[in-house]
Amino acid sequence: MFDNRLEGLALVLPGVLFAALVFLLPVGILLGEGFQGVDGWSLAPYIEFFSSERNRVVFFRTLKLGAMVTVVAAIIGYAAAWSIVSLSPQSRGRMIGLVILPLMISPVARTYAWIVILGRTGIVNQALTTIGLSDEPIRFLFTETAVFIGLLQLFLPLMILSLCSALENMPDDAVPAARVLGANSLQVFWKVILPLTREGLVIGGTLVFTGSLTAFITPAILGGSKVLMLETLLYQRVTVANDFASASIIAMILIVMSFCANLLLKRLATARASR
Amino acid sequence: MSSDSHTSVCHLPARSGRVRASSAMAGSVLALAGIVASLSPAARAADQQLVISVYGFAQDAFSEIVYKPFEAQCDCELIVETGNSVERLAKLEARKDDPEIDMAVMSTHDALSASRKGITQAIDVSRLSNHGKLYDIAKDPLGDHLGIGYTFYATSIVYRTDKVSIDSWQDLFKEEIKGRVAFPNVSTNQGPPALYMLGKAMGETDSTLAAPIAAVAEHADDIVTFYERSSQVAQLMQQEEILAAPIGRFAWGAYTKMDLPLAWATPSEGQTGGMNVMILTKGAKNEDLAYQFMDFWLSTEIQTALAEALVDSPANAEVEVSDEIAANLTYGADTVSTLDLLAPDIILDNREQWLESWNNSVTQ
Repeated sequence: MFDNRLEGLALVLPGVLFAALVFLLPVGILLGEGFQGVDGWSLAPYIEFFSSERNRVVFFRTLKLGAMVTVVAAIIGYAAAWSIVSLSPQSRGRMIGLVILPLMISPVARTYAWIVILGRTGIVNQALTTIGLSDEPIRFLFTETAVFIGLLQLFLPLMILSLCSALENMPDDAVPAARVLGANSLQVFWKVILPLTREGLVIGGTLVFTGSLTAFITPAILGGSKVLMLETLLYQRVTVANDFASASIIAMILIVMSFCANLLLKRLATARASR
Repeated sequence: MSSDSHTSVCHLPARSGRVRASSAMAGSVLALAGIVASLSPAARAADQQLVISVYGFAQDAFSEIVYKPFEAQCDCELIVETGNSVERLAKLEARKDDPEIDMAVMSTHDALSASRKGITQAIDVSRLSNHGKLYDIAKDPLGDHLGIGYTFYATSIVYRTDKVSIDSWQDLFKEEIKGRVAFPNVSTNQGPPALYMLGKAMGETDSTLAAPIAAVAEHADDIVTFYERSSQVAQLMQQEEILAAPIGRFAWGAYTKMDLPLAWATPSEGQTGGMNVMILTKGAKNEDLAYQFMDFWLSTEIQTALAEALVDSPANAEVEVSDEIAANLTYGADTVSTLDLLAPDIILDNREQWLESWNNSVTQ
């Protein structure tokens, strides 16, 4: 496209400079703070962070909720995506539109809606007491259940969209062929659909898992200080204690968790494919 | 916060043909410079500027009642910075040697913290014509005139009169409201005073607050949430999620508008509360204006207007408001004299340890 490399580089330079100056450099400085021990660079701040029982509880809760949301989103996502791609192209477009719709509504508004829905007088509790599943309203708000529901609703569309595009790219005759060869539904899913859609699952899984780890508004509103997650703990360290050192440690942990999740999902996908 | 932001991607049409590197770069840099320039505020013409740092609360009302009339009077420009106490204090400390902020308002304990860090200077009250009109507790709450009180509030319990009666701070743990109580987080301004009164009700007034924190920890499962913002409590009350919660009187206005049988408790141990003060930064560049502004804010006229708008309870004892307004404020010498306030140095010296023991026992 360009006569020489220099011109291409020159065009890209302002963007690179901008990103380096306002993003990479500050992030580097912030993350570096987490490695500052009493005498120079050290891992001591991390060891200290994990020596606190509360921090460990928050870390494992974040990991657990992120994993649960990802797994449940994948299960619901496969079912939804399968139904959507088997529709006529016109209906498929409409359904995809409906899946995307929540993404166009502010997460704050959606999360506040959950406060009303999950409240003591909300529809969930009304339904439960009306059909006699519970004698009195159940407390959902400010529990892990509320955060789980909020995060699942927030990120499920991303999983459905990733799986839809993966399923669309799957050869049309793959499933009928497996059927003809005598595979049952579970075998079809496990041995045909899953391997053929693993790319979509890796992308969707990474988006959902990373999203759940780094979501702030949902755990802050639906969990509050009783269900702290790493992201809300980070915010609290900065705004309550002005403790940027802990905050940078948490930020680093979140980045590492996201990378690990992506690597793990890729590994799982390739392991299945190479069988 | 990837989930909460949207990224827009723009596609540039592919261009063929020769592009000269230098002109491309110059063009991009110019465009960037143009964007940056268009984002910076236009320089204003006012000769004098006063920079203040305040809470983000009720800024529309403050603008109408305090800021605009003052600007009209002083022929100067008022630059208002808002934020929570921690952020604002951190900013003041960072610019200690070359302060951009001239005066700030904060809680008594934050003001004490600021003065210990050498951020503030003593206020010469002879330059404040309205100082003599203040209630005694507001005149010099920190000593050496390091802060002047401009408002205070009571902290007590708002509760549903049809479900429970609250006559003591310990009634928050009554069986009939089990699982229907919100309590302030220890990190909020309401947290330590509420814990202190709970301790008082238990017969423990030790400044470590160990006994009340242990009591809250024991009942943690029965408390719906440890709130961080008073607006959150109003929502939970409206939704009938909670039946009682300790709150600051400044938030009471929202409850009077609810169609629910709510009352403000007068517990036998008394009410607690807090006070906010004005401080003057050391090395303030616009000291004269800062004095004028503080005096303006403390004047009977402005304090009355703020009270009538239910923004701040007056610290000026000459303010007179109707009974209806008074009922929504922390108003009058009698009320003021019954407030059992935690001393600022006690809050400041114990805050870290309270947070530590709270985090280890109450929230995990």
